[in-house]
Amino acid sequence: MIKSDIQLDAKGLACPMPIVRTKKVMNNVAEGQVLEIQATDKGSTADLAAWAKTVGHQYIGTKEEGGVLYHYIRKCSAENSDFIEKAFEQTISNEEITARNGLILDVREAAEYAFGHIPGAKSIPMGELEKRLAELDKEQEIYVICRTGTRSDLAAQMLAEQGFTNVYNVLPGMSGWNGELSKEI
Amino acid sequence: MSNKVAIIASTGGLFDAYKVFNIATAAAASEKEVAIFFTFEGLNLIHKQAMYNLEMPAGKEHFAEGFEKAQVPNIPQLVEVAGELGVKFIACQMTMDIMGLSKEDFVTGIEVGGAVTFLEYAKDASPALTF
Repeated sequence: MIKSDIQLDAKGLACPMPIVRTKKVMNNVAEGQVLEIQATDKGSTADLAAWAKTVGHQYIGTKEEGGVLYHYIRKCSAENSDFIEKAFEQTISNEEITARNGLILDVREAAEYAFGHIPGAKSIPMGELEKRLAELDKEQEIYVICRTGTRSDLAAQMLAEQGFTNVYNVLPGMSGWNGELSKEI
Repeated sequence: MSNKVAIIASTGGLFDAYKVFNIATAAAASEKEVAIFFTFEGLNLIHKQAMYNLEMPAGKEHFAEGFEKAQVPNIPQLVEVAGELGVKFIACQMTMDIMGLSKEDFVTGIEVGGAVTFLEYAKDASPALTF
């Protein structure tokens, strides 16, 4: 089961209703949260991916189970978060982390992680980081990664404030990752 | 990129209605501004009574079963959804005059206008579609 914040049952509905329902429910989803859409309309996979692109949300992926399609979309804000300035100074490139031995900390939502992450990366979504600090080792190098470097920037700042000194923000992040991917779907 | 979609509905069968309202609601759900200009038989699609009894093309009546099986919403439902999503309906004044129809014969919330009303809206719309 992939973790999501809000679920929408659109099973049995034909085009265009899965899209119409998704649009309505998305109004109640907070920025950064993940919406799961359950649908049986076979066209919904292509349609929801296109819809997310048009409207500016992040289509994470689709999983089929027992004849039902489970689609995952993460709500993004109107502004493109790629252009938000990053404040954390210690950064590292995607290529460099593969050659080093520290911990890759993936702070994206659980659903994003499930649809593809760097092999060996540890998942702690941004929203859970503060209460899961005990799982991390202050002596170890930590490479914080997300999709575009924005969430990981905030996470790296938080870790630094909590006394972690070997922290790096990975840029550009998973959006520019061309290496191997592990999936948990 | 234009954020407006302009649709002309000029035919009045059941298939035509699905083409018009599926595209219109999908566009509106994708945060586009959508207006439909209903002219000639296209007026059936928003006529209070006629929209419940739109005909299939001759010889295609066997598709009724397919519509039911696919759980496709009926046309009055799609009209309502389109309205909720803010799709603008413009009924053609000239056609209404010819057919002796008034605004009250149609679903609530429509505008009545002439060709220029639609053209003014559609001048910077993309895509503009005709059914």
